Amino acid sequence: MSASDPIAPPAADQRPGKAWRPFALTAPALILLVAVIGYPLLTIVLRSLSEPEWGLQNYAWFFGAPVNLTVLQRTFVISAWVTLVCVIAAYPYAYLMTAVGPRVRLVLVLCVLIPFWVSGVVRTLSWVILLQDSGVINSLLRGVGFSGVKLIRTQTGVVIGMAQVLLPFMILPLYSVMKGIDLRLMRAAQSLGARPSRAFLTVYLPLSLPGVYAGAIIVFILSLGFYITPALLGGPRSTMLSTLVQTQVLSLLQWGRGGAMGVVLLVTTFVLLALAAPVMRSRHREAGRH
Amino acid sequence: MLKSRHLGLGAVLALGVMATAAMAQEKPIAGEVKEGSLKGKTLTLVSYGGIYQDGQAAALKEFVEKSGVTLLNDGPTEIAKLQAQVESGNVTWDVVDTADLPPYVYCGKLFQKLDFTKLDISKVPEGQVGECSVPAMNYGVVLMYNTEKYKDNPPKDWADFFNTEKFPGTRALDGSGDPTGGLLEQALKVSGGDPKAMTVADIDKAIDVIRKLGPDTIYWKTGAESQQLAESGEADMVMMWTGRAMTAVKNGAKYTPAWQDWLVVMDQMTIPVGVKDTDAAYALLNAYLGKGAQEILAQQTSYTPINNDAQPKVDASVTAFLTNTPERQKQGYQQNIKFWVENFPVAQEKWSALMAGN
Repeated sequence: MSASDPIAPPAADQRPGKAWRPFALTAPALILLVAVIGYPLLTIVLRSLSEPEWGLQNYAWFFGAPVNLTVLQRTFVISAWVTLVCVIAAYPYAYLMTAVGPRVRLVLVLCVLIPFWVSGVVRTLSWVILLQDSGVINSLLRGVGFSGVKLIRTQTGVVIGMAQVLLPFMILPLYSVMKGIDLRLMRAAQSLGARPSRAFLTVYLPLSLPGVYAGAIIVFILSLGFYITPALLGGPRSTMLSTLVQTQVLSLLQWGRGGAMGVVLLVTTFVLLALAAPVMRSRHREAGRH
Repeated sequence: MLKSRHLGLGAVLALGVMATAAMAQEKPIAGEVKEGSLKGKTLTLVSYGGIYQDGQAAALKEFVEKSGVTLLNDGPTEIAKLQAQVESGNVTWDVVDTADLPPYVYCGKLFQKLDFTKLDISKVPEGQVGECSVPAMNYGVVLMYNTEKYKDNPPKDWADFFNTEKFPGTRALDGSGDPTGGLLEQALKVSGGDPKAMTVADIDKAIDVIRKLGPDTIYWKTGAESQQLAESGEADMVMMWTGRAMTAVKNGAKYTPAWQDWLVVMDQMTIPVGVKDTDAAYALLNAYLGKGAQEILAQQTSYTPINNDAQPKVDASVTAFLTNTPERQKQGYQQNIKFWVENFPVAQEKWSALMAGN
């Protein structure tokens, strides 16, 4: 579709010689992305292949050590749980935000944003106090007759803490999609004889799915790189890959191995997203047909 | 002509006297620095922040005022960052406080081999000066136990720490990063090995002893967390740094140390390879080793000074955790530094596998 293509008729806003304009406008963002993401990423890939010498030894090491594979798998499992918990918690909340009046909505938005402005470390430390064996939740449980429940230093504790930190990233995209859904469609469906649950499942849910996907992808990807929360709320059995990367780079100065771990995580993430993309796209079209 | 020859002779003599005077002055005395000698210069001290680095800054205040140097503080110490600086030839860290082993592991590569004509180490406790480092302070890793839990039958040493049958209860260990060599050696002793003749296979044996403590074992990530574990009573026995142990007790934790075989820890002071002004860095180190500086450091941080003449004025709660008394010196356990320096990567690898739940 370039302007110099003799067959394609020039579009009104794409006169010859003006095709560079969109690029010029995005140049600052592009330069920033290349400088602060592209270049460091390239360095990581190169170092993973070149240290201590050129070759695949760092990748061979990664796949040869069972602990790495266990932790890689665990990283994805924990991230999936966090994403699921976030979807379940955020969906009704975001819906409520669209259904109430402006004043209550403001309160609801603030409830999401205020914790968001508090540092993740502080929130994680608060969870330590809540979840520990001698903590608030266990004291309450003991008060009503339950014996101590193990929350801290378990994967459950890590998932709870991470989900709370990441919840805004699910609620905000969901809300932005849901507020664009015309609620009269639901009434229309019901007037045509659908029960409320049926109207929700065939009309509202498909229309809101783009928000679910957007939020889920953001939460899932952010989860994969979590470091502080698993370190403080988890035990050895909930160590995630970033902790191993840290050990390799900061403690052993094995930049090559650390780089290889990062690349494996990145590639695995891309593969998973590529596998998920067709599902999301087809649902999209389905939603459009309704 | 005659006159000028005399003048020449006089000049030579004068030069000679001046040179001798300069040499006499250059023989360093710990804690002393020439008035205004570093005017207009800037030094960056890198350490671990918190009350510790504040204490170091206070200890160096006199040096800063007298020499005229501008002292900047940075941190925390990360060997990877230092490596990046050394490799890119742009070293901005002039004096770096590190853990026990790095100056031995990376001596000559990341840390300069020290020129001991520029430092006065005569008052440093024996055996603490390395080829690439002088000590920064001493402290200990100590076994703290819950006095309410164990009452009349308290654990006495690390063997009891590893004995969960005789001493049931939750254990908390240092999981903040590098393995603690001394602890692994104590674990090895429990399994019947000999730390003095340690081999790489012994690391696995030692780690197995730790693994047998069970799934409830807590590996704390920060000193603050270890303190919190004691203050809230989450763990019945906690492996703790003496500074944190002291603060926990001050804050009301019902814990007390079992001093037998407490693990000796020595933070190190180093000068990285490629610093812009080596002599200025030496001047800082030399001032740091002084009696007055070490007294201030001990008073502010409760860590044990590394100048034999230092007599810090501290209250009883701090004195209880100082590690330089004759009694404590007798009970202390020094790790097999040579072994851990030679096997640092493999020990780290095995330790991080334990930390990752394998």
